[in-house]
Amino acid sequence: MLTSILKRTAVTAVALAGLTTAAFAQLELKIMAPAAPGGGWDGTARSMQQALTASGVAKSVQVSNVPGAGGTIGLAQLATSNKGDGSTLMVNGFVMVGAILLNKSPVTLAQTTPIARLTAEALVVVVPANSPVKDAKDLADRVKADPAKVTWAGGSAGGADHILAALFAGTVGADASKINYIPFSGGGEALAAMLGGRVTAGVSGYGEFEGQIKAGKLRVIGVTSSARLANAPDAPTFKEQGVNLEVLNWRSVVAPPGITAEQRKTLGDAIEKMAKSKEWAEILKARGWDDAYLGSADFETFLKGEEVRVEKVMREVGLVK
Amino acid sequence: MDTLLALANGFSVALEPTKLLFCLVGVFLGTAVGVLPGIGPALTVALLLPVTFKMDPAGSLIMFAGIYYGGMYGGSTTAILLNAPGESASLATALEGSKMAKAGRGGPALATAAIGSFVAGLIATIGLAFLAPWLVEIAIQFGPWDYFALMILAFVTVSATFGDSPLRGLTSLFLGIMLGLVGIDKLTGQARMSFGVPELLNGIEVTTLAVGLFAVGEALFVASKRLREPEEIIPIKGSLWMTKQDWKRSWAPWLRGTAFGFPIGALPAGGAEVPTFLSYSTEKKLCKFPEEFGKGAIEGVAGPEAANNASAAGTLVPLLTLGLPTSATAAIMLAGFQQYGLNPGPLLFAEKPDLVWGLIASLFIANVMLVILNLPLIGLWVRLLGVPQPWLYAGIIVFATMGTLAVNPSPVELGFLFGFGYLGYLMRRYDYPVAPMVVGLILGPMAEAQLRRALQISLGDPMILLENPGSATLLGISFIALVAPFVMKGMNRFKAAED
Amino acid sequence: MTPDNPARGFDIPALVVAGLLFAAAGIVLYDISRQTIVSTYGVGPTAMPYVVACGLGLLGLAHLAVAFRGGLPKPEAADGGAVAWIIGGLVAFVAVIGLGGGFVIATALVFASVARGFGRRALAVDLAIGAGLGLVIFLVFAKLLTLLLPAGPLERLLV
Repeated sequence: MLTSILKRTAVTAVALAGLTTAAFAQLELKIMAPAAPGGGWDGTARSMQQALTASGVAKSVQVSNVPGAGGTIGLAQLATSNKGDGSTLMVNGFVMVGAILLNKSPVTLAQTTPIARLTAEALVVVVPANSPVKDAKDLADRVKADPAKVTWAGGSAGGADHILAALFAGTVGADASKINYIPFSGGGEALAAMLGGRVTAGVSGYGEFEGQIKAGKLRVIGVTSSARLANAPDAPTFKEQGVNLEVLNWRSVVAPPGITAEQRKTLGDAIEKMAKSKEWAEILKARGWDDAYLGSADFETFLKGEEVRVEKVMREVGLVK
Repeated sequence: MDTLLALANGFSVALEPTKLLFCLVGVFLGTAVGVLPGIGPALTVALLLPVTFKMDPAGSLIMFAGIYYGGMYGGSTTAILLNAPGESASLATALEGSKMAKAGRGGPALATAAIGSFVAGLIATIGLAFLAPWLVEIAIQFGPWDYFALMILAFVTVSATFGDSPLRGLTSLFLGIMLGLVGIDKLTGQARMSFGVPELLNGIEVTTLAVGLFAVGEALFVASKRLREPEEIIPIKGSLWMTKQDWKRSWAPWLRGTAFGFPIGALPAGGAEVPTFLSYSTEKKLCKFPEEFGKGAIEGVAGPEAANNASAAGTLVPLLTLGLPTSATAAIMLAGFQQYGLNPGPLLFAEKPDLVWGLIASLFIANVMLVILNLPLIGLWVRLLGVPQPWLYAGIIVFATMGTLAVNPSPVELGFLFGFGYLGYLMRRYDYPVAPMVVGLILGPMAEAQLRRALQISLGDPMILLENPGSATLLGISFIALVAPFVMKGMNRFKAAED
Repeated sequence: MTPDNPARGFDIPALVVAGLLFAAAGIVLYDISRQTIVSTYGVGPTAMPYVVACGLGLLGLAHLAVAFRGGLPKPEAADGGAVAWIIGGLVAFVAVIGLGGGFVIATALVFASVARGFGRRALAVDLAIGAGLGLVIFLVFAKLLTLLLPAGPLERLLV
C-alpha cells in the first residue's frame, strides 16, 4: 500500500513537472536536443522546457532527442525535415561548430536561423598542485621550447578543450600543429590523469575542476573569460597574464532555415522572455551555468565570428585539411 | 573508529522516515528502469534531475543512489529471463543465466543474482566507507599503460573461455573488434569505417549489438527449428528457490566477483565490463562442473553479477572522495550534487559529513531493501516464462525495439538491431559463438584508446608498457594465462608418455 | 578428418565465410587508405585497423583450410516460413517507423507476425494484443519517462 502510494507520488511528480503552465500562453514549441538523453544539450533543452512552461511563455514544449556525431545528425534533420517550421528549435553550442568541420557535415550552422545565445562557461587550464609549472608564462615557455613534452588532457578531439589548447599554443607563438593533446572520454578520466600526474596540463570547463581547485589539488594557470570569475576570484585570467586568449563554451538555440521574419521574431521574443524570467535564473543558479544571453541579430554576428575562428584553429592543428 | 562514528551518524540521518521513503522510491524506480534494455540508471537520474532540484538535497541524492543500485539489480533480470542484456555489464550474466532460465532454473539464477548482488553490494559499500581514501590514491596512479594491460588480461582470459572451436570464437571476436572501429576515432576525431553514413559516426551501440545478437537472433533460431525440435521452456523445474547445492556453489563466486568488481570499479577507467568478464572466466576455470558451463552453470551467474554490483559501489569511491565521475551514472550523480552547490571531493566529507555519511548509510539500506523487494518478485518473474511461446518471443522482440528506440529513435538504429539479429541467427546455425563479438566491441576500442594514449605520453616509445610495474605485472599475468594451457597440455602429454 | 561430402571435396558455407572475411579485411584496408588525419605523437588511427585487417585475413585463410578439410558443422534444415514471417515483421516495423506510422501500429505488426512465425494463426487477436502492448509502452514512456517514442497519427491524439 505504502509502496504504491509512493510510486504514484513519484510518478505524478515527474509527470506534472512539465505541465504546470500558465493558462494564457498559446505557443506550442518543440525543442530538439541533438544528443542522447542525459547529455549537456539535453539538459539545456529540458531546462528550457521547464522554464518556458513554468514562466508561462509557452503552452507546451516537447523535447526530442536526435543523438549522434557531435550534434550534426540533429542539425541535418533540422535543416531538411523541419525546413520552414516556425515551432521547432534546436539546442546547440560551441562544440557543434568544430563537429561540423570535423565530420565534414553537409549542413552548417549558416543554414539555420540563429535565435539566441543562452549560456556560457569559461574554460580553465590547470596543472597538478605539485607541478613545476607556475603560471601562464611558464606554460607558454615550455610549449615554445618543446611542444611534445607538454601533454594536455581534455575532452574529445576537436572539442572546446582541444581548440583552447591549440589557441593557447598559437597565441604564445608556438607551433599549434605540434601540440600533444590527449583526448579522454569524460571529465572524470581526464581529471584522474591530472591528479595522477600523468599529464602536464588539463583543460575543462571551470565547474568540472572546481572541487579539486578549491581542495588545493590542482592549480589554475588561467581562465579564459575576459574578467575573473565571480565564484573564483583567486583564479587569474589569461588576459591579465598577457596571453590574449578568450574562449567561451557557449550554448544557444537555433531555428530551422526558411522561416519567415515574423516567425523568427515570435521565437526570438519567446526565448528572450524565458531568458529574463526568474524561473530561468533559478535554473541557471542550480545548474551553475552563466547567463550569456544574446538576441537573434547579435548572436548571428557572434556565431559568424566563432565559425571563422574555429575553422582557422582546426586547420592549424591539422584536424581539417 | 572515527569512521564507525561517522557511519553511525550517517545511519541516524538515513533512517529518518522521509529519507527511507526517498530510498524506497529510488530502489523501486531503479529496479523498474533497470529491467528496460537501453534505459539505465544514468538516463533515469538525468530525467529526474530537473524535477528534483527543489527537493531536499540529502533526500534526492539518497533517491539517486537507490536508483543506481536498483538499476544494477534490474539489469540482471532481463539478461537471465529474456536473454536480452540491457547493458554491457549484464552480458556475462546472460551467458549462463538465460540457459538456466530455459532449463527451469530461472528461480535459482535470479536468486543467486539477487543475493550475490546483495553480498557484493554490502561488502563493497563497507569497502567504500572504510577503504575509499587509500583505494583512490592507488586508483589515480593507474596510467593509460596500466589500463591497456588490464584490457589485454581481460581479452586473453575471456577468449580462452569461448566455445570449443578457437577458429569460430576468434572469428566472432575479430568481427566484434572490427565493429569497434566504426565511428569517430576518439583520439583524432576523424571518422573510421563510416563511409559517409552519419548514423555510423557515433559507432555501434553495445546494447544494440548485444540485444540483436542475443535476443533477436535467438528468437529467429528457435523459430527456425520449431517444427523439428520444438524448444520447451520450463518455467520452474525442481525448486524455485536455491538448493543447498546452489548455495554451496554460489558463495565463493560471490566473494571472488566482489574482489574483482570493487577495485576495478574504483579505477577511473576500469568500468563494469572488465570485472564481469574476468569473473566469468575465473569461475569457468575453477568450477567443479566445467561441463555445465555453456549449459547453465550457477557459478557463471553468481560471479559476474556480484562483480557488476561491486563495481557500481567501486565507482562511488572516486566520485565521493575526488568528485571524479567515472561512469555515465556517476557523471549524472555529480550533476545532482552540483545542482545543490555541492562539490564532491575531500572537502565535502569535511563540510557536509551528514550528507556524505547519510548517503553511504542509505546505500546499505538500499541494498537491504532491494534484496527484500527482489526475492519475492522472483516467483512472479519466472512465471513470465510460462507465457505461450509465440507471445513470449513476440514480447521479447517488442521489448528489444523499445529500448533501442527510446535512446535513439531512428529507423537506421532499428535496422542495425535487426541486422545483428539476423547475423546472430546465422552464427547460431553454423555454431559460431556470439558473445565474443560483443566482448570485442566493448574491449577493442577501450584497449586501442588506452594504448594510443600511453604511446602519446611516451612519445611513441613502447617500452613504457614494460617499464611501469603495474602494466608489466598485468602483461606478465596475461602472458602466463595465454601460454599456461599449452604448457599444461604438453606436460600432460609428457606424463602420459612416461606412464 | 574426411570431408562430409567427398563428391565435392569442399564445404560451401566455410568458403562463403572465408570470402566474407576477406571482403571485411578489404573494407578495413580501403578505409585505412582514406584516412587523412594522423596523430602527431604515438601511433595513429590506422594502426589498429591494420591489426584487425591482418587478423581477419588470417581467419579467412583458416576458413579456406577448413573448407577443404571437414568444413563447418552442418546445420539442420531450417523452417524457412517461420524465419520469413519474423523477418517480414521486423522489416515492417522499420518501414512503419521510417514512414512515420508511429510506434503502436509498428508494434502491432511485429508482435502479430512474430507470433505467426511461432505458429499462431489468430492474426487479428495478436494484432490487437500487439497494439495494446504498444499503446501501454508508448504512454509509460511519454508520461513517466518524458521520452517520446516515434509518434504517428495515432500517437499524436494522445500527447
